[in-house]
Amino acid sequence: MTEVTAPRPWGRQVLAALLRRASARLGLAWIGFLVLIAIFAPLLANTHPLYMVVDGQASSPALARLEALDWLWMGGFGLALVLRLVPGPFVKRFGLWLLGLAGTAALAYGLAAPQTLTVYERYRELEASGRIEALVRAPIPYSPKDYLRDFGDTGIEAPLAASGRTHWLGTEENGADVASRMIHATRVALGIGFIATGIAIVIGIVVGGLMGYFSGVVDMIGMRLVEIFEAIPTLFLLLTFVAFFGRSIYMMMVIIGITSWSGYARFVRAEFLKLRDQDFVQAAVACGLPLPSILFRHMLPNGLAPLLVAASFGVASAILAEATLSFLGLGLVDDPSWGQMLNQAVQSSSFNWWLAVFPGGAIFLTVFAYNLVGEALRDAVDPHTQRGGAA
Amino acid sequence: MLVYLLRRILLMVPTLFGITLVVFVVMAAAPGGLSVQSLVDGSNLEPETRRALEDYYNRLYGLDQPAPVQYLRWLNNISPIGFERTADGSLGPFSLWKGPDLGTSFRYGRPVIDLLAERLPITLLLNLLSIPLIYAVSIAIGVQAARARGGRFDVGSNIVLLGLWSMPTMLAGVLFIGFFASEQYWRWFPTAGLVRREAVDQTFLPWLAGPQDVLWLVALVALATSLLVWAAVAAPRGLRRAGGAALGAALGFLMAADLQGAAPGLLHGALAVAGAGALGLAAGLPSTALRVALAGAVGVGVGVGLARLAGAEFVQGGYLFDRAWHLVLPVVAMSYGGLAFLAKLTRSSLLENLAADYARTARAKGVDEETVLWRHVFRNSLLPLITVSAGLLPSLLAGSVIIESIFSIDGMGKLAVEAVQTRDRELVLSVTLISGLLTLAGYLLADIAYAIADPRVSYD
Repeated sequence: MTEVTAPRPWGRQVLAALLRRASARLGLAWIGFLVLIAIFAPLLANTHPLYMVVDGQASSPALARLEALDWLWMGGFGLALVLRLVPGPFVKRFGLWLLGLAGTAALAYGLAAPQTLTVYERYRELEASGRIEALVRAPIPYSPKDYLRDFGDTGIEAPLAASGRTHWLGTEENGADVASRMIHATRVALGIGFIATGIAIVIGIVVGGLMGYFSGVVDMIGMRLVEIFEAIPTLFLLLTFVAFFGRSIYMMMVIIGITSWSGYARFVRAEFLKLRDQDFVQAAVACGLPLPSILFRHMLPNGLAPLLVAASFGVASAILAEATLSFLGLGLVDDPSWGQMLNQAVQSSSFNWWLAVFPGGAIFLTVFAYNLVGEALRDAVDPHTQRGGAA
Repeated sequence: MLVYLLRRILLMVPTLFGITLVVFVVMAAAPGGLSVQSLVDGSNLEPETRRALEDYYNRLYGLDQPAPVQYLRWLNNISPIGFERTADGSLGPFSLWKGPDLGTSFRYGRPVIDLLAERLPITLLLNLLSIPLIYAVSIAIGVQAARARGGRFDVGSNIVLLGLWSMPTMLAGVLFIGFFASEQYWRWFPTAGLVRREAVDQTFLPWLAGPQDVLWLVALVALATSLLVWAAVAAPRGLRRAGGAALGAALGFLMAADLQGAAPGLLHGALAVAGAGALGLAAGLPSTALRVALAGAVGVGVGVGLARLAGAEFVQGGYLFDRAWHLVLPVVAMSYGGLAFLAKLTRSSLLENLAADYARTARAKGVDEETVLWRHVFRNSLLPLITVSAGLLPSLLAGSVIIESIFSIDGMGKLAVEAVQTRDRELVLSVTLISGLLTLAGYLLADIAYAIADPRVSYD
């Protein structure tokens, strides 16, 4: 490990080293772009107008129909913006953010009551009848599940091929706009990536930490457990879980989390085996600190570096796992996801390139971005590459 | 060593138990998990018939018993010694010679062992073709990248490899099928399966119309291949690049002509430029091994094409050719990801060893750089590659799930997906057991190879 003991300067160092690399900047920029898209998805692609005046009455159907989850995403974003201005250590602010998020969730699910009946055709009919006096539409004026039934002739259309409507990325087999579905699917990809990896890391830290700290019999049993989970092909275990436990996005997050913790457990175990004999750990033990305090307050921050790198690659593989499951037809049923859109490209009788290239490209770029960041992070935390041994 | 092997093999047994137990618990704990309803559901039956069918399945598979009992019975069935099973499902006397029995698939109604014997060789064929390809190409790329660290090839290959690694297998598969196998674009490859029905009855090798056709073919292939390989080895770099670009442009134009006819259009220009760029870059590669391999492949292709133009007539493509043709796209789609990963690993491992003290000592003695690389550094750099090879097999098995679904190949991967989708208890457990066994065997082989490659490692 590095000689620096306080975690904060070390974090700063790593961040600075990370941002020096163009590849990491590119990757982070793409991820940031996706986060923004995910947060404001209902304002970017929606059939409900953002603002309209009908018969002298102003209203905002898009805002009125925001669901609790939409408010949660935007609330989280607002909280993050506010907390950036609050001074204090990062961990504390992150804790505050989580608390605030929980509060927002409670509020959103308690208060938000969007109208459940959606008739997308209404706005187009209103517009055609000339009753709308002022209208502000979303940049992509189609909802992901707006199958444009009122047009009658809808089906698969190539980009910009439909007459009278603009579908930048074409439409899928039911007639919904591909761009809109992709924008709304961003949430699935990002949510799965972060939460599944979070679950996997927590399990990995606990199991690996206990193995590394106690070694001996605990280590033996734990390593067998790790071996078992490594010897089952992850995809197969995922398939079994999903096939038997039904398909919801939350279930998928949990499942991907509990099938991919073994790598993290290995990393944490290796770090803790190194750390447990060091003086500061011995001192903590001698002080009679409780076990969780020794493990998580004293040892964990010193063993965080390889975990961060693994987490970055882990997010990429979680996104890939979700896409694969959806592609194999075991993913979400109703909501759009990139993998499910890719599946539609093979399901239809003819090959429609826009159904493969755009969602597939989105998966590729996102995974690529996380891998770029992970690679740069590995170089940034690795003292060997800093030295740059010349060959 | 023998003692070590025995111990390792014995340790595999509890791990295998654990693997099947995890999967079984998942199946049994699921809502509506393992019950006869999932078998009878969907069939529109009279209540009595349904009841009778349920009873029948219950007796046959023991589905009405509690989950732990079901698991123990399954263990008893697969273990070579245990209680014999009688026809009505109850346990018979204890026997030492009853032999393992993987049970009967619910869905297919056939013994699982037959299904596996049908499907496993196909998946193994895909894997055994992919693994050598992955290793050969990734070592060639990795060595070249490490040799000129920070050079153009190193930086370029690094980005390309990371991109390949991030490319989802299903995207590659879908694009391959869409562009190279569908009616709308180039219909060069078959879309599905591993063999055409007609090819089964054909001769093994391609069958040409007459001896002069064979002569034409052999002569032209030999000429084109040897010319290109010679150029790849001996020609100066500028000439190579120019020649590669010219050949690439011609091939790109032909590709466009195949789709849109010979009249030049936008696509012809774009593909000619792309082809010229790709082959020009490939001809400029600093690694001779990679160049020769590429030149050989292109040479054989060009030779066969020329022979057909010259009038050599193929009566039958032959079984071998047909099988190979079906395997091209799946194998490529399966191997590029692992290839990217291994090439990066080779590079970093070589770099670490090139900077090591012993390499410096060798250089200080006056050993030239080639000898340092191949005799001193290379063998030591193989160690991480061997370690990783253990993990390669499970990831390839997982990859074959996707590949086999996309290309409709009836292998283990497709069987696994079907098994979990239809909640076929016996099949799911057996597939888990087999893939777990293969994975653990991979780990074991990697450990043995480790001891062979590194004399310092000993397991005694």
